[in-house]
Amino acid sequence: MLTSLYVEGQSWFHRVPVRLKLIALPVLSVALFTTDAPLLLLPAFLLCGALYLSLGMTARDAFSRVGFVLFTILVLAAVNLFLVPLPQVAALVLRLTTLVLFAAAVTATTTIGAFMDEITILLKPLERLGLLWAADVSLALGLVLRFVPDIFARYQAISEAHRARGLPIRPMTIIGPLIILTLKDADTIAAAIDARGFRRQ
Amino acid sequence: MNTRDLVLIALFAAIVVVLGLIPPITLGFIPVPITAQSMGVMLAGCIIGAKRGAFSFLLFILLVAIGLPVLSGGRGGLAVFAGPSGGFILGWSVAAFVTGLIAERFVHPGNSEARQFVGFFLASVIGGIVALYAIGVPWLSAVTGTPLMTAATGSLVFIPGDLLKAAIATLAARAVYAGYPLLPARA
Repeated sequence: MLTSLYVEGQSWFHRVPVRLKLIALPVLSVALFTTDAPLLLLPAFLLCGALYLSLGMTARDAFSRVGFVLFTILVLAAVNLFLVPLPQVAALVLRLTTLVLFAAAVTATTTIGAFMDEITILLKPLERLGLLWAADVSLALGLVLRFVPDIFARYQAISEAHRARGLPIRPMTIIGPLIILTLKDADTIAAAIDARGFRRQ
Repeated sequence: MNTRDLVLIALFAAIVVVLGLIPPITLGFIPVPITAQSMGVMLAGCIIGAKRGAFSFLLFILLVAIGLPVLSGGRGGLAVFAGPSGGFILGWSVAAFVTGLIAERFVHPGNSEARQFVGFFLASVIGGIVALYAIGVPWLSAVTGTPLMTAATGSLVFIPGDLLKAAIATLAARAVYAGYPLLPARA
């Protein structure tokens, strides 16, 4: 049900260390926002576009991943046409599209495990301050992945119950029971976690 | 934070993921379908309170960032933060926190039913609309170069739909509050 956006592959960008890619993303965004020159933005756009398309996705998959964001960029560009000079609008479209393509390329070449490793390292300073446990973040993430199918099945059961009684399926009558039924399990799950000593308490 | 709080945070993030999977609600008098997920911020603040609601959305944002397609319509990945509406997604956590603060302050078990409705509605509007737009709109303006006033007036189009979401979230939050109250037990 929850398949990651990672794309299996052996392209050179897959082999770039994850940390380097995650550092490159904010660096690139700062760099792109400091310039309006089409002579710099256009090559950056073409490079990131080529990079994104070289990752081994079908054209359809590649488009569906970024289509919605690109659509919002174009809508805002259309609005901007009436408000700001044309060269600036062109710079905006190139800059944001470049960033979106690069970000999508990072997402497509990084597994969830690799992301989590980096996040654990990022959280280390907070852990030292005693603010939170990096292990708790992984545990919470695991719980979400574990319970999404259960909660979805519960949603379907509630919809079925509506249908069986000839009731229209309305958010008001579904969200309430769905949340109560789900959160009621919290005590049992918490007890199970503590009983296994996952949090060393 | 005890284990139960951690579990509530994770379960609510999972509920928000599921709200993104269910078909959007179409209402006769509004042309744009409403995604149940966009009510998640209001629901989180009103149901599990400020701190847990905010953590729940931080966890949800983390799911988006590490490349899980958990946003409604199967979107996800770092690209959504690079787009113009990235500020709205990052702002969810703050919005849930503000919603929770107001709900914790105004809704108490001894209140009349009407007062609880008013409290949840105020919390949803101030947290889920005012606070969210206060982050998302300047962000959008800064990223796209659209003048702030234009971006703000343009966003007014979405306000009627958002008020409707606040109303639905109020009804749902009050139903949960009556059936299984979690709000008073602070994290």
